[in-house]
Amino acid sequence: MGFIDTTRMLVLLAFRNLFSHRVKTAIVGMIMLFGTLLVVMGTALVDSIERAMEQSITASLAGHLQVYSAKGKDQLALFGGGFMGADDIGRIDDFSKVQDALSKVANVEAVVPMGLEGATVTAPGELEGALERLRVAVRANDKAPLATLQAQIKELLQQMKEERKVSLTITTDTKDLNEQIAKLDEGLSDALWARFEEDPLAVLEFLDTQVAPLAEEGRLMYFRYLGTDVDLFVQHFDRFEVVKGERIPPHTRGFMFSERFYERVVKHRIARYMDRVNESLHEEDLTIADDAGLQSLIRRSARQHRYITYQLDAKESAQLTDELKALLPEVQGGLPELLAEFLTVTDENFDARYAWFYAHVAPMLEMYAIDVGDTMTVRSYTKSGFLKALNIKLFGVYRFKGLESSDLASGTNLMDMLTFRELYGLMTDAKKAELSAIKDEVGLKDVAAEDAEAAFFGEGAGEVVARVDAEGFDEFADVKLARTETVAVDRTFTQSEVDHGMALNAAVVLKDRTRIKASMIEVEQALKDAGLDMKVVDWRTASGLVGQFVLLIRAVLYIAIFIIFVVALVIINNSMVMATMERTTEIGTMRAIGAQRRLVLNMFMLETMMLGVLAGAVGAGLGAGLTTWLGAVGLPAPNRQLIFLFGGPRLFPEVGASNLVAGLVVIIVVSLISTLYPAFIATRISPVAAMRTEE
Amino acid sequence: MKRALISSTLALAALMSAAPAQALTQAEVDAVVERLDVRQRNSGDYKALAYIEQKERGKNDLFYQSVFYRRDADDKLMILFLKPKSEAGKGYLRLDKNLFMYDPTVGKWERRTERERIMGTDSRRQDFDESRLAEEYTAKFIGDEKLGKVAVHHIELKAREGQDVAYPTLQLWVDQETGNLLKRQDLALSGRLMRTTYYPKWKKVFSESKNADVYYPEEIHIFDEVEKGNRTTVAITEVDLRPLSENIFTKAWLESKSR
Repeated sequence: MGFIDTTRMLVLLAFRNLFSHRVKTAIVGMIMLFGTLLVVMGTALVDSIERAMEQSITASLAGHLQVYSAKGKDQLALFGGGFMGADDIGRIDDFSKVQDALSKVANVEAVVPMGLEGATVTAPGELEGALERLRVAVRANDKAPLATLQAQIKELLQQMKEERKVSLTITTDTKDLNEQIAKLDEGLSDALWARFEEDPLAVLEFLDTQVAPLAEEGRLMYFRYLGTDVDLFVQHFDRFEVVKGERIPPHTRGFMFSERFYERVVKHRIARYMDRVNESLHEEDLTIADDAGLQSLIRRSARQHRYITYQLDAKESAQLTDELKALLPEVQGGLPELLAEFLTVTDENFDARYAWFYAHVAPMLEMYAIDVGDTMTVRSYTKSGFLKALNIKLFGVYRFKGLESSDLASGTNLMDMLTFRELYGLMTDAKKAELSAIKDEVGLKDVAAEDAEAAFFGEGAGEVVARVDAEGFDEFADVKLARTETVAVDRTFTQSEVDHGMALNAAVVLKDRTRIKASMIEVEQALKDAGLDMKVVDWRTASGLVGQFVLLIRAVLYIAIFIIFVVALVIINNSMVMATMERTTEIGTMRAIGAQRRLVLNMFMLETMMLGVLAGAVGAGLGAGLTTWLGAVGLPAPNRQLIFLFGGPRLFPEVGASNLVAGLVVIIVVSLISTLYPAFIATRISPVAAMRTEE
Repeated sequence: MKRALISSTLALAALMSAAPAQALTQAEVDAVVERLDVRQRNSGDYKALAYIEQKERGKNDLFYQSVFYRRDADDKLMILFLKPKSEAGKGYLRLDKNLFMYDPTVGKWERRTERERIMGTDSRRQDFDESRLAEEYTAKFIGDEKLGKVAVHHIELKAREGQDVAYPTLQLWVDQETGNLLKRQDLALSGRLMRTTYYPKWKKVFSESKNADVYYPEEIHIFDEVEKGNRTTVAITEVDLRPLSENIFTKAWLESKSR
């Protein structure tokens, strides 16, 4: 019998067998179908997540590759590094060298200098803020805003006095309160404001040092920022989009808040509380009635109504009181009571009050502690160890398109490279020399903690008190004090200043993103050729733990697939062994009339393979269909973390040829392995056994 | 059994002999603490030139030259930094219970807390300010001890109610002979040791307004007990007791210095 005849016979036999053992075929087929479906859909989903995350990471902060000094102690982790005490990733002392070296690599589109650090900014309390504005006006000899500011300050002092009067009725310790009321009365007195006309600074001194400390302290906000060449950044990170104000103009010093940070931290306290409740109710499906956290938030918010009243002038207070009385006619009392009741929201009335808040209350308030166009004072510990403060203009608020609500992608604020360098504050040789001169002036002995007692009070120590003559000294004899910066905060700089300076790391944006691996080698080589000792990592490594997340998902998927296929293997194997037993007579007879063992083996293998191909094809088809359907409607991200992984609020998975091939190959291999043992048993069946069964 | 009795009797005897021969009475302890304050106080104004050296593990050593002004009668204190250049003009102003910090480069004041680390060093406002131990704390005698070769009284201080101090508990070691404070430990509310400070050398100058001597430590060595290895040293090189200008303790004065 020729090969073709044998094959034809085997195929016919396989069909007949599959058909005659319909139940077994159906069970095994379903398992195979489900397995293929899982492989196709699972790998397609994970591949899509990886692609989306690549988009999220590369288009927001990382670029395709990141380069940084090989001297740093820590790994670069753009999304998961330290805060304030940022990781030590070394430094690129002269960014232009890196830029020059990489401009020789054909696939490199752009090299963007970067540095991630943390700093603080203080939003002043209401009274402090008003006094600061008054001081600025006085200094600038600007009479225009004086009347409004005075009225606002008096209104605040009046409210503070009222609060203390209420406190007087509920406490026995009245000494402090009475002292405070006396100071507030002085702040409100006509005599004081008459004096303001003649000597405004003296009055400000009193208000600043005696009265302002009685009010709410300013709010210290920690933030993370990216210092970069803003022009290059905006050009090459295409998810960047301005939400409010404008982008930092070309070659200009300035700052931008990320939308998420602006809304979550800088916004008016009560508005933030309302937003939080809104989010919990509508995005997290919580209810106020069942959630203790929300109840506590609402109680807090209701107690803090003064954050609203402090910002209102007399006219606004009266207007809001009238409007709230109309809304809440049952409430007795003034604006504080009305607001407290208004802010005590329930599941039933929240949506209406949320809308009312934004329609009636919000327009009267200063919604953001720092507004677009404001100059803010940023403070940070420099690398030289000194505390650095500088004024910087807030130009606008930005976000990464599609990643608006992802905390991870949207936590970073933006700053120009020159300001970044100032805040980073390297220890220069000149400064070292200056410090060393100060050290020599005084010549202190360096004593370690463990030697202190022996050194100070041991043998030869124990000095008696020395009498000295105080002749007086002039502390300003050889000292020039720093001058208050009078230059504009939004001054400009040249591109050369940006390029020829320090950066911590640099993002490399590629022309062809599919060639990341090859480009990485080229970039490494180019840096080496330029004599730069640097590390090159891809976006996944650069993003820190986040980048490894897809690997984790993939590992979980593979383990799940593996377990399912082990189970499938056992089931297929068992049913085939049983089928073999049922077919002992048939196989024995075949062997008796001259069929070789090899033919029996082939018959079994082919049978399973045909079932595998058939079920696999249907499974793969179903998987592809389902994935394509999901790709059309989009799979919603169930939480904020997943928005980042999904590259937006919905994932649109796509199925690729590789997913289909993977599904089919896996199922056929599994089918063949699971048939090996039953087929082997079948080849062992002798004609005699068949006859014995007959008996 | 007998041997155990003997050894425990011996141990008890040893303990007894180690106990202070003459424990200070409460009045005596209070007097020791009071004297620390009185000696350092000046009835008139006080100006001193101080160097601050800050050593932190893994960081550059930092040095500052500063001048501090005190008017003890009014509870006023001003610290103005003179060197290095980048820090010149920065300053702190303490008025009553409030501490303000000024940075001339941004022209802004900020209110700071009592626990402020002066310029990020291990020193606190109180290290430069008038000594008010008796007013802020209640004292308890712990024992007579030896500090190196020097015989000292060990005294524990607990913050009085309502006093806003940087550390609620202090341990002091006061020279029995000279009555000078030699060692001080600052403890947090939890009892955790935060700083150990040594005052190895004291100086005194005659004050005409007080008609007595005013004492000041020539060196203050502050060791951070939380971040081991970090230390701050303050050296007072000059003292001037002549009256200061009337308006020196104002925001306007400090601002005017850098304009």
